[in-house]
Amino acid sequence: MGEYAIELQDVKLTRDHFALGPVTLSIPKGYVTAIVGPNGSGKSTLFRMIMNILKPHQGSVTVLDQQLNHHNDDELKQLIGHLPEEATSFDDFLKGYAKAQFHAKWFQNWNNETYQRLLSILTTRDDLQLKKMSKGMRRKFDLSIAMAHHPKLLLLDEPSSGLDPIAWKTMIEVLHQYMENEDHTILMATHIVDEVKRLADYIVFLVDGQVLGTYEKDELLQSWSTYFIEAPSGGTFDPHLMPGYCEHKVVSSGFYEIVCSNSFEAERWLEGQELTVRSKQILELDEILFQHMKKARQYAK
Amino acid sequence: MRLPIAISEQSAEPLYYQIEVQLRALIISGSLQAGTLLPSIRELASQLKCSVITIKRVYSDLEAEGLLRTKQGTGTYVSHVEKESREEQKHSVVNEAIDQLLEAAERVQCTKQELEMLLKEKLQHYEP
Repeated sequence: MGEYAIELQDVKLTRDHFALGPVTLSIPKGYVTAIVGPNGSGKSTLFRMIMNILKPHQGSVTVLDQQLNHHNDDELKQLIGHLPEEATSFDDFLKGYAKAQFHAKWFQNWNNETYQRLLSILTTRDDLQLKKMSKGMRRKFDLSIAMAHHPKLLLLDEPSSGLDPIAWKTMIEVLHQYMENEDHTILMATHIVDEVKRLADYIVFLVDGQVLGTYEKDELLQSWSTYFIEAPSGGTFDPHLMPGYCEHKVVSSGFYEIVCSNSFEAERWLEGQELTVRSKQILELDEILFQHMKKARQYAK
Repeated sequence: MRLPIAISEQSAEPLYYQIEVQLRALIISGSLQAGTLLPSIRELASQLKCSVITIKRVYSDLEAEGLLRTKQGTGTYVSHVEKESREEQKHSVVNEAIDQLLEAAERVQCTKQELEMLLKEKLQHYEP
């Protein structure tokens, strides 16, 4: 068994209005990886390629050690749980349990006990027609369905959309429990900063169809800070000299606000300078994403 | 089980280091007794809202120091720490902190006399 659950090698897909890639990306087995990016960055396209619904024009996709093709599609899907961004509508007229019965037929590892347990933990039900379910109820039902066959890989596209804060918390717990098995992997796409903080081990920034970086979450979140720095009275200094310098503002003469991507190095450097650090603020994930986008778009010009 | 560990996001110290220092102290002080089963890696990560990568590093570092041991399939336990080695560990923790203190004092050019006075003052109120 390899150490990656998903591997994309030089994958490219071009449409009239959108281009994804070339993307090379490895999702480690046994961890939660969050793909973070603005709307239209290619997250759902990426998921559809991993699900073998969309074919890349170039490159290869390997899922659970098998390169995707026509022959292994059925076999692989037995091992994957997929929660799409939008609930399906073609089966709206079905009652929840009828859809579950269909899944039970299809998935060899379907476990009815697990299914019932998930419905009850997530406080949802399956005795209603799908179209009659509220958005949150449907989301929780869909998650139960996606996990009831004990998949090795869970693909979650905006998992918490439509969930209230209590249901959200329960979902996080359910996913943590799922990850207790070290053979399990989650790949999720999300906009929600808190969700990434609570769940993710790795973060991938995807913007305009390009991967801008893959990071260990804790390291990333600790690396980015804004420093408020005062130069000795009357003096100035060149903020570009600071390790990890990204951008700065002069608040008033001799008083700087500096965004920096390498807090550890920056602080070691600051110790040797005649500068006063007035305060430090860590950047939130969305601000870090914003800095990545700014840099990428500058570079593109 | 919830471990009394608090992390500071603002601190310049890496998360794994912050957690390691506190967990080591809990073991050396005897707050966590030999044989205690620690939370699973995923569980502790979720309690502290950090990633499993960080916790894995903490557990494996402390295992290398002989403070923890992992039994395949059952979990991570606190090792039996010998009395002498407990003393030794205790002193090494305090010595490390003293080194940092000295560095800080040197940085602000604190004299030996000043330092002695400050320490004496603090020691008067020290009641472990």
